[in-house]
Amino acid sequence: MSAELLLDARGVSKHFAGLKAVSDVNLQVHRGEIVSVIGPNGAGKTTLFNLLTGQLAPTAGDVCFLGETVNRLPPHRRARMGMGRTFQIAKPLIALNVLENVMIGAFLHDASLSRSRDKAMAVLERVGMANLAARKAGELTLSERRRLEVARALALEPKIVLLDEVMAGLNQAEVAREIELLRGLHAEGLTFLIIEHNLKVVRAFSDRVIVLDRGELIAEGSADDILNSPKVIAAYLGAGHMGSSAEQSATESKEASR
Amino acid sequence: MSNIDIKRPANRSTTSGSDVIEGGTRALVRYLIAMGLAFLPLALLLGDPHWVNILAFTYLMGGVAAAWNIIGGFGGQFSLAHGVFFGIGAYFTAALVIRFGWSPWLITLPIALIAALVATLISWPTFRLRGPFFAIATLAFNEVAFVIANHADSLTGGPRGLMVPFKAGLENMIFRERWQYALLMFCFAAMVIGACVLLRRTRLGYYLLAVREDEDAARAAGIDVLRVKLSGMAISAALTSIGGTLFAMYLRFIDPPTLFTLTDVGVKFALIALIGGVGTIYGPLLGAALIIPFESWLRADFTSDLPGFSQALLGLLMVLAALFMKRGIVGVWTHWRESRTLRKQAKGDLS
Repeated sequence: MSAELLLDARGVSKHFAGLKAVSDVNLQVHRGEIVSVIGPNGAGKTTLFNLLTGQLAPTAGDVCFLGETVNRLPPHRRARMGMGRTFQIAKPLIALNVLENVMIGAFLHDASLSRSRDKAMAVLERVGMANLAARKAGELTLSERRRLEVARALALEPKIVLLDEVMAGLNQAEVAREIELLRGLHAEGLTFLIIEHNLKVVRAFSDRVIVLDRGELIAEGSADDILNSPKVIAAYLGAGHMGSSAEQSATESKEASR
Repeated sequence: MSNIDIKRPANRSTTSGSDVIEGGTRALVRYLIAMGLAFLPLALLLGDPHWVNILAFTYLMGGVAAAWNIIGGFGGQFSLAHGVFFGIGAYFTAALVIRFGWSPWLITLPIALIAALVATLISWPTFRLRGPFFAIATLAFNEVAFVIANHADSLTGGPRGLMVPFKAGLENMIFRERWQYALLMFCFAAMVIGACVLLRRTRLGYYLLAVREDEDAARAAGIDVLRVKLSGMAISAALTSIGGTLFAMYLRFIDPPTLFTLTDVGVKFALIALIGGVGTIYGPLLGAALIIPFESWLRADFTSDLPGFSQALLGLLMVLAALFMKRGIVGVWTHWRESRTLRKQAKGDLS
């Protein structure tokens, strides 16, 4: 890969009192890539995200961002370096309106109220939420909240955005809209690392897929290869379901668990 | 992207940022009107010493509650330690004026800086605690200050307290007329609230709100949460200390129970802000305008028969406010206005 290496996890592990949430994971994301992390519930995907963004410190291994080891850097320092993220459970600042939520991100590079406001407005226009600028974030629908998280992350002018299940709970039309938005942002040069349960999204939208199971990286490759791999199917549904494709099985298991 | 939003038709065709965030001129006009209204009672009651005294305390407590509101309301850190900063202002002022005869005007700001420093030092460890644990930890500092004030006789006069000799004169911040003090307190409240209006329009002001709403989201937006909390606390403590200076110069007698009885300081600042509207700009002054006269009436009419009755009643008010008016009177008012706008919109959509 000739493109610049943005994010590089080397043998990263996180143990919680004997529970190996993430063990010895190697992961590289280059500029311009879209990398998906998939895996069954409890596979350690969100823990891995928290290691990369700095919510958690690794038990072993190194997280490097832009060529610097950032193991000891708190989340806000990594955000300043250019790491944007969304949360699995959206965290809108509910007492603020939509524009102010995005301004919170825009303030990172500019202390001026009016310039941050204009920049936030431009971001809202980009993500198609300009008409909601004055609405209180607490009154948004689930899909709007998710999109607001993306907008706040974009206002940071990030080099990479980590999306933690931004599609979960959205209906098909909303998912289609979201994919369109992310594709557009990718075309403008943004790099993504995403956690996604919806394998249709993964197939439609990633250069490379990484599969986690019980904290370990068990497969890595192109979306098509991965989603047809027996190993991945086994991880999702157990060895007894080898007949069906991973895509179906994963969708079924998701539905069954709800 | 999507021109058709089925769920929610856009109610404005073109929205610009300046429609959403109040402009500086509008904020200034609003501030001037509010201060004009706040000044009105003093102008009307100038000849009544009883009411002028109540107004002086109303302005003072409104200003201090507004200062508390910077960290307690905007920053969402429910500090009960503000009695300490108020006490620092009062004790340092009284002690320095008595010992060296310095003009209070000159030492107010240096003392405020000391209060900010102390606030930073005691907040550093306690800001690691969240929610009620933070409140309880800050409560302890007030008790520590009480003990120090009681025992450091050489500086504080111990339980006997400190008496500032009466030397009338502007340079001594000692006046013959009560209305002069009331005017001073009004200026203090106007200054603190002006600072809040400005702060609310800065990056730090927005960052405080972000920290209050969600610390993890704030960090993900590149915000150094501890630093923002410490900055908010330092500003809040400095302004509170200035209130303490004015308090000492008005009463000219201070002792530990006056300054460190929790229900008269730390808890009361929070209560006033809570009743008026925590996290709002004008709520604290409104809260003071209700609580201080009410309390003075309670004290005058009930204390002799039922000791502690006024405090019990204020405590009850605080519980009720916390239960039913999370954003205080200002919150009830804005909620009413918003729902009225929504109703109008709904009617417009139907017709």
